[in-house]
Amino acid sequence: MATSVSALTRIRSARLAGMSFTDYGFYVLCGTAIVLLATQAVIDPRTFFQVLDFGIADGAIYALVALGYTMVYGIIELINFAHGDIFTLSAVIGSAILGFFAVNESSFSLADLLTLLLVFPVVMLIIGGINVTIERVAYRPLRNAPRLAPLITAIGMSFTVEGVMYLWHGSAIIHFPDLLPHGAGFQTYIGGVFFTFKDVFVIVAAVILVSLLAVFINGSKLGKAMRATAQDRDAAQLMGIDINRTISATFFIGAVLAAAGGIIYGLYFNNLDYHLGFSVGLIAFTAAVFGGIGNIPGAALGGLLIGLVKAFSDNYIGSRWTHIIVFSILIAVLVFRPTGLLGMRVPEK
Amino acid sequence: MATLVAFACGSSSGPAGSKGTIKIGSDLPVCTVGGQAVQNGIQFAVNQKNAAGGVNGYTIAFQGFDDCRQGSYNADAGVENVQRMLGDSKFLGMIGPYNSAVAKAEIPIAAPQHFVMISPSNTNPCLTKDLPTCSYHPQDLRAGNANNYWRVVTTDDYQGPAMADYIYKQLTITNVAILDDSTVFGVGIAGAFETEFKKLGGTVAKHSEYKKDQQGSDFKSILLSFKNAGAKAVYVGGTDDQNICIPRAQMKQLGWDVPFTGGDGIETTDCIDQATGNEAGIYATSAGADATQVPGAAQTIADFRKAFPGPNDFGGYTMQGYDATNALMAAIGRAINAANGGTPTRDQVRSEMAKTKGFVGVIGTYDFDEKGDTSLKIVSIYIVNGKLSADQVKNSTGVCGSKTAKDACFVWKTQFDFAKLSS
Repeated sequence: MATSVSALTRIRSARLAGMSFTDYGFYVLCGTAIVLLATQAVIDPRTFFQVLDFGIADGAIYALVALGYTMVYGIIELINFAHGDIFTLSAVIGSAILGFFAVNESSFSLADLLTLLLVFPVVMLIIGGINVTIERVAYRPLRNAPRLAPLITAIGMSFTVEGVMYLWHGSAIIHFPDLLPHGAGFQTYIGGVFFTFKDVFVIVAAVILVSLLAVFINGSKLGKAMRATAQDRDAAQLMGIDINRTISATFFIGAVLAAAGGIIYGLYFNNLDYHLGFSVGLIAFTAAVFGGIGNIPGAALGGLLIGLVKAFSDNYIGSRWTHIIVFSILIAVLVFRPTGLLGMRVPEK
Repeated sequence: MATLVAFACGSSSGPAGSKGTIKIGSDLPVCTVGGQAVQNGIQFAVNQKNAAGGVNGYTIAFQGFDDCRQGSYNADAGVENVQRMLGDSKFLGMIGPYNSAVAKAEIPIAAPQHFVMISPSNTNPCLTKDLPTCSYHPQDLRAGNANNYWRVVTTDDYQGPAMADYIYKQLTITNVAILDDSTVFGVGIAGAFETEFKKLGGTVAKHSEYKKDQQGSDFKSILLSFKNAGAKAVYVGGTDDQNICIPRAQMKQLGWDVPFTGGDGIETTDCIDQATGNEAGIYATSAGADATQVPGAAQTIADFRKAFPGPNDFGGYTMQGYDATNALMAAIGRAINAANGGTPTRDQVRSEMAKTKGFVGVIGTYDFDEKGDTSLKIVSIYIVNGKLSADQVKNSTGVCGSKTAKDACFVWKTQFDFAKLSS
């Protein structure tokens, strides 16, 4: 008899009502979650939509970080563990710049607004440069080494970046100025749901950035080169694409998104510490896997969904269960749909 | 009284040191505003004593040690400091440490040498009391040696109940939600609060907890569940280094304005900073009396402010440091008598310190029990008021913000005296 077929393969190849068993399991899980949430939405729509608002705002920030993970994985199959710390570093640098210009939180002036607008490009450039340097120093020399080697240097870079922030600020909470408009004129109830300018700002900013990225990847020459390199590095090189430059560009763009995410995080939460990148990075990485690692729309969707899962879990189930639920979802996705929600995009081997 | 003695600033020599010098040290996180403010109180007490002729013919030399590493207190640094003091036989006692976690590491080093430690600010009950909730035990820290540790403030197991009483009776709020930071301190103080609040007849709508590393800065959904459960106030068990005051800032995102209350872990500058624009209405307990509320203390505080005029020189535990120093110097004086006027041993000082009775200090008149706890069981309640004048900020006995709201300070409201309540 065909005993050589493993149990897992048999389960995966089993079919039920025209669908594979794993697909079936996946849809059952998703369906259950949707029914449970829909019930809550009917019972208490105000709470449901309020949590939805919080979840989308948080998810938008996770999405910006997840994009950096997925872009780097897509192009060189490396999980850049330093990415979460790059995100934190951008918020710390942003806070330092705003502090240097002595931005006054209590009487916000036009000059302060200009400083705030300037902080975004300046921090993006600095962080982009740092991430490109990290790639040049820690990953490029190991590009043809066994895949475990760059993974270890990535962990090393993560600790290095954290260490720099620790030497700079210690373990104390780092304050980020509260510069987004807030107060009575910038908040309102719509249908019993409380909206603040801050929530809207985060969501709008993230949507703009992700749209710009999509346009860039699909429309520009460099974007095309990135897609080609991700698909087949050797063939791309034969076509005359400068591989090193393309990979550097990928790290740069990933860092720019993380930098934007870091400043948005700072403006939204106003408090951070040197260790923040660990938890945000872990969640964002989960989001990238959830959406399908290497898949850019997948990372954006995954970030959004993880933000929602966290918010719903915190509110309906209890904060002590949140991490368990997030990582159970990761395991369920890996078992039932190993390629993530929108499918993996990795080089064909 | 001591307050009648004119304080001579800068007098370097006097009739004092005819017999020689006795050293006392301190171990505090001097890099922090709170730690430096305590060291000022110690320096002030020693200067005053020397100006008045020293202790039985000896001059007291004070040396302050810093247990900061990278901007915050560190138990290893504290242990090194204690070892340096133990290595110099002229040191007969120390004031400190400031943080309970540091005391836990230092007591086992100092106890075998009979080295007196008097803390101005440690509130963890487990340092002196063997409670079921303790993860370590006072007898283990001392390892069979006679007690060498005292403190002039009362403990956390009175702080939770004090706030429960205040919320239920004074704010007349009967439904609260609790958030703790999953640390030994946070769980303990939140538990003590919950037990007392329910005993009074109040309802705990929800009790949630978080771990800093997992939660990040996002508490909005937890807070929303509190609001929907009908809570009319939030009690937090935790400390600012675990982000415990970030939820206060996020209550704005919900449009939810109710009292935000907690223990002395939130009576800090960092807490006001974390609350970013939502400082007013934070209530905190402090394990000790507010020095401005004790009759007779006013003159000493005025003298202190003359000698240390800086805005951050006077802090919530400055007078506790001042009292601890005077208690130690009084014990050294009695030990000199016990040594027939000669230099006493550390054990003689320890044994005299243990005999302290009816000590008249600036924060009250009190004894110590055999475990090292003060008979003064006062818990103060503070509330953050915003938009204070520059003078009010300068003279504040509670800490103030340093970032978003420099004009918001903890202002004393009332106090509970558990020694009177229980007797």
